[in-house]
Amino acid sequence: MLAIDVNQLRKQFKVQKNREGLKGAMLDLFKREHTEVTAVKDISFQIPQGEICGYIGENGAGKSTTIKMLTGILVPTSGRILVNGYVPYKEREEFVRGIGVVFGQRSQLWWDIGVIESFRLLRKVYRVDEADFKRRLDELVETLQLQDLLNRPVRKLSLGQRMRCELVAALLHQPSILFLDEPTIGLDIVVKTEIREFLKRLNRDHGTTILLTTHDLQDIEALCSRVIMLDDGRIIYDGGLEELKERWGKGREVQFQFTDPISLDAVSSLTSGLDVRWTKENEVTAKVWIPRELNVSDVLSRVVGSAAEISDIKIFETNTDEIVREIYRTGSPEAKEAVRG
Amino acid sequence: MRIAFTLSLFREYLANYIKTKLTYRADFWVEVLSDLMFSAMNLIFIFVVFTHTPSLGDWSEAEVVFVYGYFMIPYGIFSTFSNLWNFSERYITKGEMDRILTRPANSLAQVMLENVDPPSLIGSFVGLGIMGVAWGRLGLPFHWYDPLVLIVMVLGSVLIYLGLYTALAAISFYSDAPTGIGPLIYNIQNYGRYPIQIYNKGIRFLLTWLLPFAFVGVYPASFFLERHADRTMAWLTPVVGLIVGAIGLIVWNSGVKRYRGAGS
Amino acid sequence: MASAYLDFVRIRFLMMLAYRVNYYSGIVIYAINIGAYYFMWKAIYGSAETLGGFTVEQMTTYIAVSWMARAFYFNNLDREISNEIRDGSVAVQMTRPISYLMVKMMQGFGEGLFRLLLFMVPGMIIVTLIFPVSLPTDPVRWVIFFVMIWFSFLINSQLNIMTGLFAFYVENNEGLMRLKRVLIDLLSGVILPMTFFPGWAKAILDWLPFQAITYLPGSVFTGRLNGAEVWNALLVQVVWFAALIVPILLMWRTARKRLFVQGG
Repeated sequence: MLAIDVNQLRKQFKVQKNREGLKGAMLDLFKREHTEVTAVKDISFQIPQGEICGYIGENGAGKSTTIKMLTGILVPTSGRILVNGYVPYKEREEFVRGIGVVFGQRSQLWWDIGVIESFRLLRKVYRVDEADFKRRLDELVETLQLQDLLNRPVRKLSLGQRMRCELVAALLHQPSILFLDEPTIGLDIVVKTEIREFLKRLNRDHGTTILLTTHDLQDIEALCSRVIMLDDGRIIYDGGLEELKERWGKGREVQFQFTDPISLDAVSSLTSGLDVRWTKENEVTAKVWIPRELNVSDVLSRVVGSAAEISDIKIFETNTDEIVREIYRTGSPEAKEAVRG
Repeated sequence: MRIAFTLSLFREYLANYIKTKLTYRADFWVEVLSDLMFSAMNLIFIFVVFTHTPSLGDWSEAEVVFVYGYFMIPYGIFSTFSNLWNFSERYITKGEMDRILTRPANSLAQVMLENVDPPSLIGSFVGLGIMGVAWGRLGLPFHWYDPLVLIVMVLGSVLIYLGLYTALAAISFYSDAPTGIGPLIYNIQNYGRYPIQIYNKGIRFLLTWLLPFAFVGVYPASFFLERHADRTMAWLTPVVGLIVGAIGLIVWNSGVKRYRGAGS
Repeated sequence: MASAYLDFVRIRFLMMLAYRVNYYSGIVIYAINIGAYYFMWKAIYGSAETLGGFTVEQMTTYIAVSWMARAFYFNNLDREISNEIRDGSVAVQMTRPISYLMVKMMQGFGEGLFRLLLFMVPGMIIVTLIFPVSLPTDPVRWVIFFVMIWFSFLINSQLNIMTGLFAFYVENNEGLMRLKRVLIDLLSGVILPMTFFPGWAKAILDWLPFQAITYLPGSVFTGRLNGAEVWNALLVQVVWFAALIVPILLMWRTARKRLFVQGG
């Protein structure tokens, strides 16, 4: 069964324009201008139960808007959504009892009182019965090692401690789907690792489907079997992480250090006829990007065989970080079409 | 069933409120004190004015004080449950409305419960006391049904407050810029506690039919004041309360709809 | 340097312009307040010629001008400052090479200037047309009046800043801010001129800064104070302005020390 089924989903917003300067402000006093912005442009994807899926994209790509539609906060302009068998924006109260939501930058806990008090209140709100609540809480407290924190007020917690408590708060009612919006933002590397381990375990032990947005591609590498990449409201990639690397990591980079100063033209002429791209790092260093179709040795032999004297050579395999950056930079529709396959 | 659930939530939220307040005990008393001072100020105004004139548009000092005492009762109850003054900033600008919408309970009930403010209730008791003293000074008769009528009137008045201020908070769903309408309504509500006859037609119309704040003070209170009793207007209080309350709920629901992008 | 401060005035002015609903509702608030108080005072006067030394016309003019002056001097610096203290952004502001308190003053002035130009001037014209207001004919009186409401702004802002700075010492100064607002409205003379208070109360109020905010400029404008009394009133304002600088600087100094020692 599908946990999330999205079809031709679209969301448009009306945005107020503020005119510039004193005159503009005066005009705004009487008549406002609006523009229509399409944040999500007819996207479709399906996520089966038990999958951990990364939802990535630059700021403003439409990630948050999608999450808000999937969690029933926003109503889509058009398209179909089915989450957990519910249409999220209809029967909201019934639907949200089956999902958990963590917004990394916003707390759902009471600021001034012990964490446990917030948990108790959430138990009531989600109508979890006392025995289930105790069992669930004990389990979560143990895996996340929160024993000592339970009676501390939230304002006295560190960000990492707070985030662990937020996870508990979102999971007390045993949701089958967990939505995480930037769950590791601002955390140090140790806490990040802990949280990733916890999420993996949650997914393994309870089969919880997880959809997370993140800017940290390490999260994706550590957790996700699948990535959906968004750009300007459209899905530009949807598939496995390995596949992404294979298709887009299709190039390698070689860095040459020469003994004498070189010019970009000079080094480019060495490989004329080959589809490679040179960049100059400094006076004596240049990098060349070689697509997968070409043999690295072909390029190497040309450069090494030339008159230029070389003091050092390094070969780099591209990592996910660079792949993603590369996809966003090239941004040409053909390139994106090619990725989608 | 749903109402029972929401009521049971009230107990939980109240418990959390008390725990929060116990950590800031001094603030709790400053708040209570400032609320009482506020009422004291209004009484001072009435007392000072009556040192210069024997009557205010045919109303004696004790009668005006009586109306003020009544006015404090529904206001205290309303303030306890509907402390929505910073709704726009907290829930819209800072985005806490999103969290509300991911929880399985009515959105308005959640927002109201998260902001319960029990110290305001003390004002209601003080108001009841003031009303009692004025009652004695005026030598009004006491009927067996008076307490029941008082309860019905107070409920009507509370509904008027709730409806108007809920509708007002819901405006933030349409525009997150500060509108200044809050202080506007708050200002106008204060005129409902003086004899309505002293105003001109325009203001009387405004206070009776547009922003019916005469129904949170002078009209319902007049029921008990034999000399000024206006039974028709007094009995309209619960009716107007139900209507305004319903309007508030409708505006809130359509505001939430708009917030979620389903409206317009 | 000075131009940096002027920029804060300009930016706040523009900000006020951006909130148009706020602007419209503000006009309505003041119209209703003036109207309601006008009718209330008419009822209070009844058939009396003068009360508390004010004739009916003087009272009408006094109400109109004191509400208009309030539009100019009123601001929410207390709330802004205490919010910035509580969310910690005051520490960031302290790292800037300009005085935080001066910046706040300038922002308050930008707000006041906006209301003076787009609010008070048109408002005053409308009020003069509707109600029997008599404006002073002597241009010197006009000039002095504007100087005096400038001091009203300064003194009121000083009190606001002090209230706001209390957030350094208590966790929650909400109650204090409410209390201050009530005190200023009642004791500064907006709703009740000083001469209406009983003798003993007036004797106390003469020694408090509140009357310098509304009562003194209002009295000069309505012609209740003449000749040397006018200069005397201005002198009282100047003295209060100078005197209030001391506690503010003291509070600011200890607050900064606390901030540096405890790290906020």
